[in-house]
Amino acid sequence: MGLIGEEKKPLAIFGVVAISLAAALVMQGNTSVELILFSILQYFATIGPVALGLGLTMIAREFDISVGSTMSVAGCIAVVASTSDPYLGAACGIGVGLLIGLSQGVLVTGLGLSSISVSLGFLITLAGFAYVVTGNMTIPLDHADVTSAINAPVLGIFSFRSIFAIACFAIASFIFLKTRAGVELIATGSDPTAAATAGVRTTRIVVIVFMISGGLSAAAGVFLTYGLSVASPSGLTDILVPAISAAIIGGVSLTGGRGTPIGIALGALTLCLLNAGLNALGVSPVAQQVVLAFVLFTVAVAAAPQLYRIIPQRS
Amino acid sequence: MAISTAQLSPISRLAVHNVTKRFGDITAIEDVSLSLERGEIRALCGGNGAGKSTLVKILTGVQAPTSGVIAVDGVSRAFRNPIDAQRAGLALVAQELSLAPDLSVHDNLWLGHADAPWQRRTAVGMERARASLAAVGLDNLSLNLKIAELSLAERQLIEIARGLIRNASMLILDEPTATLSEREIARVFDAVRALKKSGCTIIYITHRMGEVYELCDSVTVMRNGRIITTEAVKDIPRERLLELMIGRKLSDVYPPSDTNLGRVMLEVQHLQVPGAVEEFSVRVCAGEIVGIVGQIGSGSIETIRALAGLTHNATGDVCIDSKRLALGSAPVAASAGMRFVSEDRANEGIFLHMPARSNMISTRLSETSNGGFVRPRLLNRLAVGLARQVGFDIDRLGVTAGRLSGGNQQKLAIGRCADRVMTGVILMNEPTRGVDMGARAEIYQTLRRLCDEGNAVLLASTDLEEVVGLVDRVVTMRYGRVAGVHNRADASETTILAEITNAEMAA
Repeated sequence: MGLIGEEKKPLAIFGVVAISLAAALVMQGNTSVELILFSILQYFATIGPVALGLGLTMIAREFDISVGSTMSVAGCIAVVASTSDPYLGAACGIGVGLLIGLSQGVLVTGLGLSSISVSLGFLITLAGFAYVVTGNMTIPLDHADVTSAINAPVLGIFSFRSIFAIACFAIASFIFLKTRAGVELIATGSDPTAAATAGVRTTRIVVIVFMISGGLSAAAGVFLTYGLSVASPSGLTDILVPAISAAIIGGVSLTGGRGTPIGIALGALTLCLLNAGLNALGVSPVAQQVVLAFVLFTVAVAAAPQLYRIIPQRS
Repeated sequence: MAISTAQLSPISRLAVHNVTKRFGDITAIEDVSLSLERGEIRALCGGNGAGKSTLVKILTGVQAPTSGVIAVDGVSRAFRNPIDAQRAGLALVAQELSLAPDLSVHDNLWLGHADAPWQRRTAVGMERARASLAAVGLDNLSLNLKIAELSLAERQLIEIARGLIRNASMLILDEPTATLSEREIARVFDAVRALKKSGCTIIYITHRMGEVYELCDSVTVMRNGRIITTEAVKDIPRERLLELMIGRKLSDVYPPSDTNLGRVMLEVQHLQVPGAVEEFSVRVCAGEIVGIVGQIGSGSIETIRALAGLTHNATGDVCIDSKRLALGSAPVAASAGMRFVSEDRANEGIFLHMPARSNMISTRLSETSNGGFVRPRLLNRLAVGLARQVGFDIDRLGVTAGRLSGGNQQKLAIGRCADRVMTGVILMNEPTRGVDMGARAEIYQTLRRLCDEGNAVLLASTDLEEVVGLVDRVVTMRYGRVAGVHNRADASETTILAEITNAEMAA
């Protein structure tokens, strides 16, 4: 169970990508390893928490596609509310994220709605709301000290943001592997009816998972915005595709019940390595999309249930 | 003589006094009283709609009674939710298994426990998990295995073990053997007997006569929301119990067989399915019902599925009405005259979210449409005709299939096979799984009538009583091969059972 079983595939993919990246960098004669690792972890800090939140909803057999908009809105609200105190702004942003998650969870469980339609509604509404909050303008953050503190390297390759992301995964892994709550989450996604019959309060689990997803996306949005020192309503909606990709590469099943935080972390890191490697090699962003798509497709085909029909089996 | 255990001892382990449950104007159960002793196994029998599940829901705190009292050890209790019932020592082993397939044995045992610790694993918790597994005869099972890797019997035993880990001293088993083969049933029986010995009180819900007599001390029969009788099993003859359950004469259950067979409808030679069926040959004539019997893993279910075109890698010579059939495609098999009724009604048999009417005509759209447009009036007329043929209440054709009882759902599945211009072969797996006695009788009549109209029926069943009563010929299977063929006259439950388990006894 746990660490070794489910993460084999994402670990293998991660390994292949990491070795290819290292080989490419060596051949290129690139020596700024520390800088590359730093930038990898910075990107991880952006997509990691979002992928974790989204992945957890997928494990619970739901789907929170509003994560990008939540991130965007939380960042904008934090900057707008931070005029006197950046901590107050961050609290407001993350609070709004939790509230978004709570509303979605209650709508999904209370009214029996599909989480895709609910979170799609939120995705569109929140994207619009971000423009309202900012008055369709780019708003600068007036706390240069906060920005530099958030971006300052720690131990060479880390920053506040990446440490936060790593901490999120560590806590989530602990809950997942070691606590009753983790078991109940997997049970809910694995077979909701069976879990409810067994006595699990599946409604509560789903609501909490949506709140975690909203909260993590909001936190990632707030810290990224503080790091960039500017809030833009159009900024962060491109996060959805990388987040879903990270979850799927990380072994999260679209039918629920399968996947782990460590798997999601490996999935997110794989994307970060790809991104960093391709950037270092000077591949254009458009071509990067093609490479990413190829990796995703390979993962999907490798997991295809009917693959055995094509590959002849030895008896 | 009806026993009244309440009079034998002043305080019963579990007592139900005059419980009534109403939903609006509908009375689900009325004036139900029961009393059970420590270590008693009580069979609870009755058709669908008899009120068994309502009673179970009240006992397990899922629903509150409209009136009446439940008492445990003489103390009256009001369960507000399942947790209350769990704490009072009552646990339900549900018919639809309530295990999470992606979780380990250990995690499933503790899932939903009212007082589970916050940690996933503790030394004490693992110790108790092992003890509860040992109590149901699964001593050697690893706690780390995922449920998806276990057999159905093992899953059923784990459900029971979960009841034990909750310190349940009163277990309600809801048809625990419905999906098991004979040998697996024996394991469940052993576990239930061990529980009885340790003082557990057990309510055992079943449709199977044999289980009542083999396992239970007393039996309560319910019909139409009321208790018809409660008697000691040794005091009630088999035929009498059956008649009480179905509310009609026993001779009406299995229709007489027809001796006039027609031409050969289905000829199967050297059917093979890799990993499941090694060699299967059979010949079925029009007007004949042939039953394949075997334990789970014997290949009986897989044989039927392969003939229905549902197995991509099946090989063999199959002729239907003297025409060669290519295996591996369900549409090809269907257009050749194969009609399949699945063992997995919820997932493969019917469309749960669609009305009964749509289900009934779902294989007939080409007959009821013209140039791609469906003709509602023709469709309705066809659905009504089919409903009459299979004994389905035509006033309920508008009801969503998922809300119907197992028996009525199965009638829909069979209705799709009935009333064709072209005769063919009806393939069925577990024709009456989860179907009550009353509806069973109607399904048997329908099958016999379909045969009389020139169809042939090939079915696989693990219910030996049904096989012996219904079919004209029995084919037994073991390890993917045919073990023997018997005519109805010389097939008895014991000879069949010996044949399908023979190899394992010798091993």
